Amino acid sequence: MQQNIYWPRLAYLQKSASTAPLAVFRILFGLLIGVSMIRFALHGWIDMLYIQPLFHFSFYGFSFIKPLGQATYLIFGLCLLSSLMVTLGWYYRWAALSLFLSFTYIELMDQATYLNHYYFISLMALLMTVLPAGRYFSVDVFRKPEKACSRMPAWCLHAPLLLVFILYFYAGLAKLNSDWLLHALPLKIWLPARNDMPLIGQAFNLPWIPYLFSWFGCFYDLTIVFFLLYKKTRVGAYLTVVVFHGLTAILFPIGMFPYIMMVTALLFFPASFHHQLLDKLSKALSLSPARLHTDHSYRFPLHHQKWILTLVGTFFIFQLLFPFRYGLYPNELFWSEEGYRFSWRVMLMEKAGQVQFTVQDSHHAPERVINSAFLTPLQEKMMATQPDLILQFAHYLRDFYTKKGFTAPKVYADTYVSLNGRLGQTLIDPSTDLARETDSFQPKSWILPFKDEIKGL
Amino acid sequence: MKKVNFCLPILLIGLIFILGACSEKGGESSEPDVSAKNRTALMINLSDQIILPSYASYKTKLEVMVEKSEAFSAQPDIANLQAFRLAWEEAYISWQKVELFDFGPASRHAIRNYHNIYPTNTAGIEANIQDANANLEAPYAYDKQGYPALDYLLNGLGSTDAAIVAAYKGQDGAKRLAYIRRLTGRMQTLLSTVVSEWNGSYRTEFVSKTGLDIGSPLGELVNGYIAHYERYIRSGKIGIPSGALVNGITSADKVEAYYKKDLSKKLAQSAHEAAVNFFNGVYANSSEEGPSLKSYLNALGTKDLSSGLLLSEVINSQFSKSNEALKGLNDNFYLEVTTNNQAMLTAYAELQKVVRLLKVDMTSAMSITITYTDNDGD
Repeated sequence: MQQNIYWPRLAYLQKSASTAPLAVFRILFGLLIGVSMIRFALHGWIDMLYIQPLFHFSFYGFSFIKPLGQATYLIFGLCLLSSLMVTLGWYYRWAALSLFLSFTYIELMDQATYLNHYYFISLMALLMTVLPAGRYFSVDVFRKPEKACSRMPAWCLHAPLLLVFILYFYAGLAKLNSDWLLHALPLKIWLPARNDMPLIGQAFNLPWIPYLFSWFGCFYDLTIVFFLLYKKTRVGAYLTVVVFHGLTAILFPIGMFPYIMMVTALLFFPASFHHQLLDKLSKALSLSPARLHTDHSYRFPLHHQKWILTLVGTFFIFQLLFPFRYGLYPNELFWSEEGYRFSWRVMLMEKAGQVQFTVQDSHHAPERVINSAFLTPLQEKMMATQPDLILQFAHYLRDFYTKKGFTAPKVYADTYVSLNGRLGQTLIDPSTDLARETDSFQPKSWILPFKDEIKGL
Repeated sequence: MKKVNFCLPILLIGLIFILGACSEKGGESSEPDVSAKNRTALMINLSDQIILPSYASYKTKLEVMVEKSEAFSAQPDIANLQAFRLAWEEAYISWQKVELFDFGPASRHAIRNYHNIYPTNTAGIEANIQDANANLEAPYAYDKQGYPALDYLLNGLGSTDAAIVAAYKGQDGAKRLAYIRRLTGRMQTLLSTVVSEWNGSYRTEFVSKTGLDIGSPLGELVNGYIAHYERYIRSGKIGIPSGALVNGITSADKVEAYYKKDLSKKLAQSAHEAAVNFFNGVYANSSEEGPSLKSYLNALGTKDLSSGLLLSEVINSQFSKSNEALKGLNDNFYLEVTTNNQAMLTAYAELQKVVRLLKVDMTSAMSITITYTDNDGD
């Protein structure tokens, strides 16, 4: 096997797997993103979130990514087109790359809209650019049958599974804390708000139900991938996935995430299952099943293999380590949120706050800022609890007031933040001139310590 | 083995449904607080014991005021002026007890904007007096009508009652009386529209939709209640005149009931009391308490994890501090701002603490949403 010339001793790299699961995933993944884009547009969210606001919060290091006015619709259009081309497997590699770039661009436009599942989609789309998901049951191979492959290196199937494992397992680890397990927070706050749901609503009034949900959710996150991997528990585990995510879809406004996970979990099923699906789809589309038949195995070109494997390896090492960066910060993670994002921390906090900025300089009296004159309700809500967003807005105010005639304005924030039902506390040192502070990966000395302790990971 | 596979999800679904069924019957006896989490009872109490009776008693006061204004119109003399003024005062105080219901019909018809936007625009009022067809139904007309405009017309046209009555004689006097009739007529029409919508379909909608998401009556009620406390009590009555909001520059002429002078504290206290009573579910026509934001928070068991205090206790204790601060102010906020503004600023600071408790701690505990975009709770 010449193919593994660079790592001749790694027998794992010579294992192969069917391309069918990846093909099914490609079709459904593209469709769901396409639906997401249409849903986003129909809700009017493109205009509301990206065109109306005067100011946008950027991600650290990505401040060059901004909405493009009316042209923002084109990015969403490009993303929709790419997602449908991925589904069809039409110019697959380019479509996947374009999907990754357009989707990621959208997600980086405003930090106030950050969602973990968008991050998951971006990562999965990035992985898909490398995987040969377009080599089976795609327009590409219908046009050029000689390109069709029924097998591929096994790691191409295992890589997305590993990403799913990290998502669930790390989400489970994040729940191993005293708020979640001992106080059933924030579910104790969120569930009674849905006690008027038909049939199951009344149960949410029972005091132990949030505990049951908390413990079950934690157990589910930590173990579901193992149950999906093990043949005898797979079908039961998958139905649990459907019920669990279905329930979260009914209870919480988490958009497309439940459906994306239901589709992704299909990757754990054997090739035979996916062949059946594709056979049915062929019949429905009146395609001859013979066209699916091929004996080829996909191989990465020799000169590409080394760097592709290095990149994928680096990607996963990063994914495994990056969520643990919070350990390097002294403050309570839920409070300061230093190292909180991009770490599969989902549904962990009920956090709310109010922030009042004051701008002053040597010849102007202190002026109180009306946040809503600059920010949407969503932006204001998100900013009020997140120190790095508070800092970004303080800098925007500094520049705004400089243009208004202030000389070297000082910007102070009067903050009040409640975390998981605790009475509000001051988040930011009110004597810190935020105009002079800069964002970085260093611990932020102007975040006041949390006056309580949340034990656990 | 297949049967085993299905066990977990079926158990899970089954468990939830059984729990749902059980708790509907047995919940109340085992857990006394559970029934207070029932938002239907909350909505019924709020509408039937507080909102509707408050509107009803306001309507009576407004009718008395209109009656007195008609008497004054028929015979503009000092006695009728004083009777009209007294009725105006009482109606204005009663208005403070309904202004907080700024959601549903009241919000739809912008009743506040046509009833109580101040400082009033005297030049605009004088222009309107000369133009019998002046449009009163647009945002630019907000500050030319309602109680603040009547304040000017009853208290601001002269330094003595005789001088004021004199302004209602002659040709301009008749026009002034006609404008008063337009204003009071408009207030009555708006109120009847709001009240009849409440008595019509809205009450049913209100008590049947118990969700907490954006656009739900309870969500709108709570957001409207807090916005009222923040913008119209804290800022409007105290913050703006005292300069606590803008630049520290005082604007004593922006107090409520600026021409009557000695009424501003009474109005602020009435509005504050109404907000406190609403929180505690106090009936409009007695001191009895029913299901309320307080009892709902208590049923949820919302307490500060570090101190163990119930959130409702923390809120009520801050309400008391605000009350005390208001009580200590001069009857005449104009005077207080010009001579003792520090007391106003102190009151503002106490009211601001209430705002935070309501806006951050209470809405967070109740899980009230302010936007309808996706959220994964981080």
